[in-house]
Amino acid sequence: MAEAKDLMTRYCDGDAGAFRELYALVAPRLLGYLLKMARERALADDLLQQTFMKVHRARAAYVRGADPLPWIYSIAHRTFIDETRKHKRAVVRVGEAEELPEVPAGLTGESDDRRDDTRPDPELLAAALTALAGLPVQQREAVVLTKLDGKTVAEAAEIAGTTVGAMKVRAHRGYEALRKLLGGSGEGDPKATSKAVGGAP
Amino acid sequence: MSTIDDVSRLPPPTPPPLAPLLEAELAELPAVATRRPLRQLALLVAISLIYGAGMLAMLTMRRDMHELPIGWLAGAGLAWLLGFVVPVYLATVPRAGAVLPRWKFAGVSAVAGALGFISLGLLIHPTGPSSGHLDWAHFGHGVGCLEFGLATALVPVIGGAIFLRGALPVGSRWIAAALGAGGGSLGGLMLHLHCPITDGLHIGLMHGGVVGVAALLAAALVPRATDLR
Repeated sequence: MAEAKDLMTRYCDGDAGAFRELYALVAPRLLGYLLKMARERALADDLLQQTFMKVHRARAAYVRGADPLPWIYSIAHRTFIDETRKHKRAVVRVGEAEELPEVPAGLTGESDDRRDDTRPDPELLAAALTALAGLPVQQREAVVLTKLDGKTVAEAAEIAGTTVGAMKVRAHRGYEALRKLLGGSGEGDPKATSKAVGGAP
Repeated sequence: MSTIDDVSRLPPPTPPPLAPLLEAELAELPAVATRRPLRQLALLVAISLIYGAGMLAMLTMRRDMHELPIGWLAGAGLAWLLGFVVPVYLATVPRAGAVLPRWKFAGVSAVAGALGFISLGLLIHPTGPSSGHLDWAHFGHGVGCLEFGLATALVPVIGGAIFLRGALPVGSRWIAAALGAGGGSLGGLMLHLHCPITDGLHIGLMHGGVVGVAALLAAALVPRATDLR
């Protein structure tokens, strides 16, 4: 598969196929990041679409020859933050008749019909993901980017719009909180774990 | 922590198909001219200097220019010029291979520029026989310099905001502050060539203050124009 910067360049030159290739290359990783941040498959899907729509509208801001991934991740980060703020501001009451059906998400946010059953230790993974979900947003993002997505601290700081020092502190605190919650072996009751960090369910 | 390592090894989820709106956009996808940072920087500097020179031409050069030490005149002029170019460079030109501008360095340059010019203005202000003076009671009369400086800062700030639309998902306030500080320094350069008042308070707070005020105003207003929607 071609490199992201080549695909981005061809996309800016009007090649729709290059955009589709770029989507196929970047979207799975980006969706993984958004799922771990948003904790809901439907919301993560929506954030992914919003992110690519923003990339499309802002593609003239791309600098030829540059790696577009940190920029696209930053747009995803900003889209998630804006959505979180919007949710905090909006108080929505949904009546019983208006309730939407919720499709249960799997460990990586996949709905039952898409789930791959070959994954190891689902209970342990569930405990880890629940503990992760309970971390404050900034610490969660730091752990997701540096530990789970394999970004360097500098790359993670660039994506999140913070300094390298602040990102190190967030990642360290988040990782220490997870270590305590999972007791080193990674085992634990997901419900207890979530309560212990005082986080959302 | 083995469990977290297991999570990192999970295969990435399958993304949904593209949204219909995006599919429709892709059906007729025009080529776009992408951002060329160095070219934009050169254009922004040139247009801003021409605008500043035009503003200065509408007024007059300072009457005490031939009485002041040439070293100070040239050195201070160069400092103001660098105070304009450096933050604007950091705000518009990313490091090689990156799309995002260097907002951290840009932010540092904005803060350093504002504090530096205010401090230097308060401390170093040679005077000549034809220089003007404003005592403390008339300090407020010098506010015209602040207004002139801010008016000069408009072009670099607006031009920079236009060039950076969509390029700043993060760090937009610091980038805006740097554009403001750069524009304010250009205003300071024009004031350095125009205003004959040499009191430390006036030079520090009105001329140097332009940098800080322009940076704060730009940080408050510009992100509304540059943020992605």
